Amino acid sequence: MTQGGLDIPTLVILLKGAGVSLGLACAAIACATVLAVLLTALAFSRLLPVRLFYRLYIYVIRGTPLLVLAMLIFYALPAFDLRTGPYLAAVVVLAIYVAALFAEVFRGGVLAIPRPQWESAKSLGLPPGAMLRKVIGPLVLRYTLPSYVNVCVMAVKATSVLSIISVWELTLASREIIERTLAVFTILGTAGAFYFVMCLGIDRAGRRLEQRLALRGFGGEHA
Amino acid sequence: MIEIRGLRKSFGQVPILRGIDLRVDDGEVLALVGRSGCGKTTLLRCINFLEDYDAGEVLLDGQPLWYRTGTDGRRHRVPDAEARRMRQQMGVVFQQYNLFPHMTALQNVCLGPRFSQGVPTPEAEERGRRLLARVGLADRVDAYPAQLSGGQQQRIAIARALAMRPKVLLLDEITSALDPELVGEVEDVIRSLLPERIMMVVVTHALGFAREIAHRIAYVSEGVITEIGDPVQILEQPKDPTLKDFLRRMR
Repeated sequence: MTQGGLDIPTLVILLKGAGVSLGLACAAIACATVLAVLLTALAFSRLLPVRLFYRLYIYVIRGTPLLVLAMLIFYALPAFDLRTGPYLAAVVVLAIYVAALFAEVFRGGVLAIPRPQWESAKSLGLPPGAMLRKVIGPLVLRYTLPSYVNVCVMAVKATSVLSIISVWELTLASREIIERTLAVFTILGTAGAFYFVMCLGIDRAGRRLEQRLALRGFGGEHA
Repeated sequence: MIEIRGLRKSFGQVPILRGIDLRVDDGEVLALVGRSGCGKTTLLRCINFLEDYDAGEVLLDGQPLWYRTGTDGRRHRVPDAEARRMRQQMGVVFQQYNLFPHMTALQNVCLGPRFSQGVPTPEAEERGRRLLARVGLADRVDAYPAQLSGGQQQRIAIARALAMRPKVLLLDEITSALDPELVGEVEDVIRSLLPERIMMVVVTHALGFAREIAHRIAYVSEGVITEIGDPVQILEQPKDPTLKDFLRRMR
């Protein structure tokens, strides 16, 4: 095949790669969300050492390039006799990384809750679980959804870095095809378009959720 | 019955409450009046432990609240779970209503009974509907706070406090944030509660309303209660010079 060829088999390979990228991102986002909720709870602990642990986690993880983090964990895991293969390692790395970003987003959301709301909930004597599920959680979700979607979009694109630890996804698939066909611009352009479409999808889903959750009565709603 | 003994509180170096002694009997409505910054709102918040305090005691029906003195003679906060049970015996209505914006009127009112008191949902909802009807909002049960006027929101806040079946209602300047034409509907709701003889502690600037509903008025000045007694006596024959001055300014 010559330069410029974008035939059906190539497209199928790229589509598969995109599927893997999206799957990795979704798995990582799901794990990271759970992890970030726990981390956020640590951020508001009454115990100073717990709060310090939170800050340490954020500084270390957020302050390390994902590429470095990915290689560190990929090469470190077998040292602990954890032979995970690249895919699990990829999800773990991405989850750990994205969790730090999510946690800061959630922490900001908790800080945005007006003090009177806390006092209302407190004065009702709500137990911590109900307080979280019924008051804090729903408010934080509404306050942070746009920033959360932002990080999700970033997570999808960040999967491309994982090709470095031999995870076969959209970027690695593209590189392999380019090595064979030398169709640099066609293939990278197509891969870029796939990333774009995935991110657009996440953005649209986020917007729809935002509309569904919009606080009623503040205007801007569809009557 | 609520008893407060020797309550003291400072914000940093600034003393806010400087030894409050007070008793509110069952069925009694007590109004706290005074200049802004005199400590009356802080006192109300201390009763519900929304503020901690430095010394003194708050007792509800003889039971000491919020702090315990340990065997080492030091004062400790009660554990959170116990504080929650104590709070459930009180209903608070705030100046700014503070309804939960993501919940309907009914959900706001049912939240406490369902999750703090474990009342089954159908029963909690029935209680909620009854209370909302009682404050004149039977037709707005599914409305969200931002769809309602300030007066309506405050009436829901009162229903939310009542839904806990509290021993005492603590009202913190509940009409101060309202447009003047909405004050009446909220005051009417409070008036309608009087025959039930619910104990109330009411912080207010509305002296006419205080005179009408309160059994006693306490005048708070610079962190102490300088005069307390029958509303007519307090408002018409004040003895404390700062109270005289306060009443002159309020007119």
